[in-house]
Amino acid sequence: MTTLRLLLLAAACLSAIAVAPAPAAAQEIQITGPLAGQPAVRRMRQYRANRIQLLLPTVGYTLQDQYSRSLMTGLEANVHFTDYLGIGVFGALANFGANFRINTDLTAQVRQNGQTTRSNRLSMPSPDAVEGLTGGFPDQVARLQGLVSLQLVFAPLRGKLSLFQGAFVDTDFYIFAGPALGFVAERANLVGEDAEVCLTDPPPGEGIVSDDCLLTQAQRKNRVAFTGTFGLGLNLYFNDFIGMAIQYRAFPFAINPGGTDEAGAPRNGATVSQPDNQIDGADRRFYYHHMINLGLIITLPPQANLTQ
Amino acid sequence: MTRADIARWALALALATAATGPASAWAQDDADMVFGEEESGDEGADMDFAGAGDDTGGDTDMDFTDEGAAGAEEGAPTGDDALFEDLATPEGPVEDAVDEGPRRRVVDETIFAVQRLYALRINRVELIPSVAFSLNAPFVSRTAVSLGLNYWFTNVLAIGANFLWYDGLESETNLNFLVRRSTRLAVPINEYQFGTHLNFTYVPLYGKFAAFNEFIFQWDAYVVGGVGIQRTRPIPVIDPEVRTFDWSVRVAFNLGVGIRVFLTRWLSIFGEIRNYMYLEQLEALDVALGQDRFDPETWTQDSPAFTSNVTVHLGLTFFFPFEFEYRLPR
Repeated sequence: MTTLRLLLLAAACLSAIAVAPAPAAAQEIQITGPLAGQPAVRRMRQYRANRIQLLLPTVGYTLQDQYSRSLMTGLEANVHFTDYLGIGVFGALANFGANFRINTDLTAQVRQNGQTTRSNRLSMPSPDAVEGLTGGFPDQVARLQGLVSLQLVFAPLRGKLSLFQGAFVDTDFYIFAGPALGFVAERANLVGEDAEVCLTDPPPGEGIVSDDCLLTQAQRKNRVAFTGTFGLGLNLYFNDFIGMAIQYRAFPFAINPGGTDEAGAPRNGATVSQPDNQIDGADRRFYYHHMINLGLIITLPPQANLTQ
Repeated sequence: MTRADIARWALALALATAATGPASAWAQDDADMVFGEEESGDEGADMDFAGAGDDTGGDTDMDFTDEGAAGAEEGAPTGDDALFEDLATPEGPVEDAVDEGPRRRVVDETIFAVQRLYALRINRVELIPSVAFSLNAPFVSRTAVSLGLNYWFTNVLAIGANFLWYDGLESETNLNFLVRRSTRLAVPINEYQFGTHLNFTYVPLYGKFAAFNEFIFQWDAYVVGGVGIQRTRPIPVIDPEVRTFDWSVRVAFNLGVGIRVFLTRWLSIFGEIRNYMYLEQLEALDVALGQDRFDPETWTQDSPAFTSNVTVHLGLTFFFPFEFEYRLPR
């Protein structure tokens, strides 16, 4: 029967070759199908090209903070010239305009177990609250106020994902970078004679920290830091004009996170910075601010373009 | 070869002949042809596939619509497609394979959102070297090298193990010193030697990305979780002159998510965030007086502390064997 099968196959092939209009027919069969001769992606929705993408709102949370965390709520708007390139602005307020505080566990521990001595009373006049004078260590912690940035957005990757082979969403991956302004409230500077209130003993019977020194703990100074921002994100598109953004954003700039005296004096061979009995800019150190953002995407005009 | 096989081959031969021959004629416009057993002569009958032209009436034109194909075998291709599809079909019904003349049908060529997995995982072994660092340990920089091994027993489920080596790669940050100096607060910290964990991996998400509409690559996202051990010890910071600690083993649980991007069918890069959770025995904050200070029983806290080490893994995965057989669904 094998011989019969071979004969039939040969006959079929000969018949096809003899009668087929052109030898290309076999090749056509090989590439026949919905994807034959088509580009990598056909009729792809371009969610960004010539459109404005608004993130209303973005909600973020800062990561790896030493003493205070920030819930960042804001807006983002990006204008895209092509499907992979655009410019935009981002702005966010921390803790709804610093209306509340989020302390880390370390701040709580310092407040509960920290100790003030003569050698550190400038750095921390009091760990805990003193009625009418200070709220304790949490009062001197630096807190982020907000962030504003310009950004160049580059979205090189466009695709779709399947969830349990049952739900499909279009998605793209993007990176961004640009200049930024970071707004931060820090403990006010204490230099020269102002610092002396925390370096000298109060009158006998009043402990080791004077009331004037305690009052300095809650004195604040707002500052604007010039910095840059960068990050990456993933957009999920539920339809042509609504989606969700998941974004990682970093905006490093120097701050004095604890409002303490950490540097300014010569090191004299020490491996760490030495305090100079002043609270000032020298006490700032590199701080890698970063956060995770979620945002609701609204894209205008509402109709996405299609590629050929 | 059975009779059915013989019939199939005969049908293939007949279809090859029938399909390739008249094919060019189908494309001709206004072709006046009659295939009836007897020419009806009815006016207006451009083409008549009926056994008798009279039975069909005089207005039967060529009909390539679905309705026109009514009664034809569902899913039966014609022409060149039929030949090659039938040649490739190992088994199938042939009893009703009667040549009823040229037919057309709408071929269901459904495009699935993710039509074909780029790299099958089932029955493959995945070797996973990576570097790991902690996201939530401000006092100790927990860097590790890691090696993992997965066996995929389905395309979306794997069982595996990983091993992380920390000793010699960790370093204490300045923060602990600065906090001690400024607030007189000593924060008990610990160090890791190694961790090893059994885990399951599940892939609920997969998809593909196009880069500049030129290149396409595949990716998937997974969740991973399991149980293992973590070998740790406290770093003496409260009373370092007296206290020393030995390594001890803790039971640890882990849970994480990751994303894997395939560079080839056997090589991918991946990023993963995994939380290793366990109960840690921390150094006691109080120093006992007298001889009790030298009693190791007083060196640790009374109750263990829940410790969470959120770790980022970045690395490569290698799938073995490199090749795999993919069976196309029909």
